[in-house]
Amino acid sequence: MIMVDPIITALLAIFAVPFIGAFLVGLDRKLTARMQSRIGPPLLQPVYDVIKLLHKEPIVVNRVQIIYAGLHLAFMVLCVVLLALGQDMLMVLFILAFSTISLILGGMSVRSPYSRIGSQREIMQMLSYEPILILMLVGVYLVNDSFMARDILASGKPLLLSLPLIFPAFLMVMTIKLQKSPFDFSTSHHGHQEIIKGITLEYSGPFLAILEITHWYEIFLLFFIVTMFWATSIPVGLLIAAVCFFCEILLDNIMARLTWPWMLRFMWMVGLGLAVTNVLWLYI
Amino acid sequence: MHLYAFLPLLLIFGPLIFGLLVMLAPGWRCKTPVIVLSALTIMAGSILLALQGPFTLSVDNGLMKVLPLIELLILAIIIYIGFAIKKMLIIGLGLLQLAISLASEMLPHSVQAYVPALNVDLLAIIMVLIISIIGPLIVIYAIGYMKRYEAHGPVQMRSTGLFFFFLIGFLGVMNGLVMSNNLKLLTIFWELTTLCSFMLIGHDRTGDAEESAYRALWINSLGGAALMLALFLSISASGSAGLDELVAVGALLPLAMICLAAFTKSAQLPFQSWLLGAMVAPTPVSALLHSTTMVKAGVYLIIRLAPGLGGTRMGQVVAIAGAFTFALASAMAISQSNGKKVLAYSTIANLGLIIICAAIHTPLAYAAAILLTCFHAISKALLFLCVGTIEQGIGSRDIEDMEGLMRKMPITTVIAIIGMVSMMMPPFGMLIGKWMALEAVIMSPLVLFLLIMGSALTVVFWSKWIGRIQTVAYHPVYKIEDVPFSMFAAKGVLLLGIIAAAAVVVPLFKRVISPMSMTMFSETEVTSRSWDLMNSASTFIEWPLFFMLALVVPVLFLVVRGIKKSHIRQPFLCGENLEGAKTTFEFRTLMDKGESARIRSYYLNPLFGEAHLTVWANSIAIALIFIMFGVISK
Repeated sequence: MIMVDPIITALLAIFAVPFIGAFLVGLDRKLTARMQSRIGPPLLQPVYDVIKLLHKEPIVVNRVQIIYAGLHLAFMVLCVVLLALGQDMLMVLFILAFSTISLILGGMSVRSPYSRIGSQREIMQMLSYEPILILMLVGVYLVNDSFMARDILASGKPLLLSLPLIFPAFLMVMTIKLQKSPFDFSTSHHGHQEIIKGITLEYSGPFLAILEITHWYEIFLLFFIVTMFWATSIPVGLLIAAVCFFCEILLDNIMARLTWPWMLRFMWMVGLGLAVTNVLWLYI
Repeated sequence: MHLYAFLPLLLIFGPLIFGLLVMLAPGWRCKTPVIVLSALTIMAGSILLALQGPFTLSVDNGLMKVLPLIELLILAIIIYIGFAIKKMLIIGLGLLQLAISLASEMLPHSVQAYVPALNVDLLAIIMVLIISIIGPLIVIYAIGYMKRYEAHGPVQMRSTGLFFFFLIGFLGVMNGLVMSNNLKLLTIFWELTTLCSFMLIGHDRTGDAEESAYRALWINSLGGAALMLALFLSISASGSAGLDELVAVGALLPLAMICLAAFTKSAQLPFQSWLLGAMVAPTPVSALLHSTTMVKAGVYLIIRLAPGLGGTRMGQVVAIAGAFTFALASAMAISQSNGKKVLAYSTIANLGLIIICAAIHTPLAYAAAILLTCFHAISKALLFLCVGTIEQGIGSRDIEDMEGLMRKMPITTVIAIIGMVSMMMPPFGMLIGKWMALEAVIMSPLVLFLLIMGSALTVVFWSKWIGRIQTVAYHPVYKIEDVPFSMFAAKGVLLLGIIAAAAVVVPLFKRVISPMSMTMFSETEVTSRSWDLMNSASTFIEWPLFFMLALVVPVLFLVVRGIKKSHIRQPFLCGENLEGAKTTFEFRTLMDKGESARIRSYYLNPLFGEAHLTVWANSIAIALIFIMFGVISK
């Protein structure tokens, strides 16, 4: 990898990533609209939304919420920075989990039943995907002999060839993390009414903007990991990421929302099963 | 007398003498200064010991001849207790121990075997520091707690003086346990910890308390018998009663016996029931048992044995047993709504985690085991002290009843939240330990899988609990709780300790723990893979994390301060919020009827329920213990 000053890398990660994320979200909305025979908003609509939200009055239900929204963003940014610096990926994963936990705790700090239910469902989502994510890294370690992101090319061949079953398991995890159907339990980007806006219901104005920006970082992070499955050739990696992106949106538009017990069973049986199988043959 | 000999004596006998003084001192006016003085002396002694550095100490042979007599005395007390509470099991186990003890006295001791009585190495010093700094804080907390408890506790309970004698004496016994190298001495201290815990758990003398104390006694006597058998086997095999000798020789059967003893003391599956029952005791007892004493004796022994276990098949089985406990105890914690029980299961799980690290025995795992032991002790002590305060404040230890605690006891709530966060989030030490543990076990698939499942489950019950207590109502009126100064001071110091520990964890690892575990291993002994893992963990850069925190904390502080009262609104309830409602869960529904919404947490009883999970978990755990012995004879 090219040696760049770590501070410049970190700054680049902090300031460039949200724009890529915002672009992806905009593209998502556009594609979704086309699938639903609508024209859809302009590509930069997410950015306009966030700018508008930032200028609104800071209405909250309590002050604790704000702290958790801030930590949610801070941990997510830290995640992206550590990954950009080529640091230990297991640590990155842990910090990603803490970003989500901050969101959960923020949702639980308000006395709103909808937000509470959303938070508890988010906990169940974490329970169902966290083991798969760690097993993915175990697979990466067994191939590369290192947990470091900078050693991602160590084996010299694309990870996807060694981890063919972990890749689909990761895509399932990504569906949960992107809050796409059939797994959009805790909150949803669409106007479906179930628990209203769930975990993010009681956030508004600038604090909702913080959650949106965090989502930009997250979406970048997830597709960055997808690209890493074919890191030997960046164009191929990007192509895979693009196909996955399209499939996620397609899935979101053709699937109905299921229940969280179903998700837990499905992820632990199918997702975890795939990941364990893949890891097992790497051990032998 | 030279400081070498004086400090261990002070740390072992000091607490016993102080305990006696506290017991004899009449009234709180006399007791309080003696308790504070004893706490400060023990702390100072341990810090001096740490400054002194490692050494070994031999005791005159004539003095060592007294040991069997003391052993006999303790066993006589156990058998007497058995008669007093009319339990054949205790009498039987006492007699069994007596028989083994006498048998090992009959064995010929080899003449050349020179056994230093005390071995104060780096590990022992770390353990002494944990015991003698956190322990006295709990003792200080107990001043305020017991004053209240005397007024509200059950009428038939034992005297508070006796309580303090065992509480403070316990620290001396534990100090002795971690410093002793002679197995005979170790057994004596081991039995004494069992006796102390029996007395402390049974303090209330209610039916529940006596039942739990009895259970703790018989399970730990079983462990005591196993330890004594290990002593017997060790002497008959190598003619030496030295722990260092035993580890160096690496005879597997005595090692397995000691592991079994450690499992009972550390409440690993299937022996968890005594620790779960122990929560009936006053909270300082739980805090002491869970953080610094008793359960830590078990994991300490396994860390001590680590060089003997490393690379053996038996070591792998021990690691699997630890991992199994970690995953299952974490799962059972999810189904609990009793706060103390959640903490107990979390302790059991974390002890399992430490056992995995010790038994895997690579440099990184060894370092992780020590870090986890330190950080678990401090966080768990704080959490128990908080639950004790909450229990006295709201009269319940049920998590569901802790709803809105922020309003009733804001200071305790914030301390408790930080304590829970320190169990799982960065930059606190537990997370670093867990991270290192995960990387260290990478070459043991089964252990790794259980560890991964366990850590995902851990997050569930902590987030549920934090979420429950931190809920803030609409325009709350905070009522600063009235907590005695001693209780507040103990928690305050522990809290500062957690924050300080978080700040120094990475340098501590790089400067102290890492070199310490490196010296445990020779280059040839371990694979290059484990060296690589150790080295890459040592290059972990922490500056982005601390930079982030340094940036975010002040910014958040400013933003929170900028929020005006008019910015705070009521939550959305799918109906008009009721005016003047006490809680914000009340809203107007059809035909203007008032309705209240109530959300309980998920407990997932069908999946993780204690009742049905315990049965088959215990069966598998028992099978694992048999396998542990089985692989030796293979």
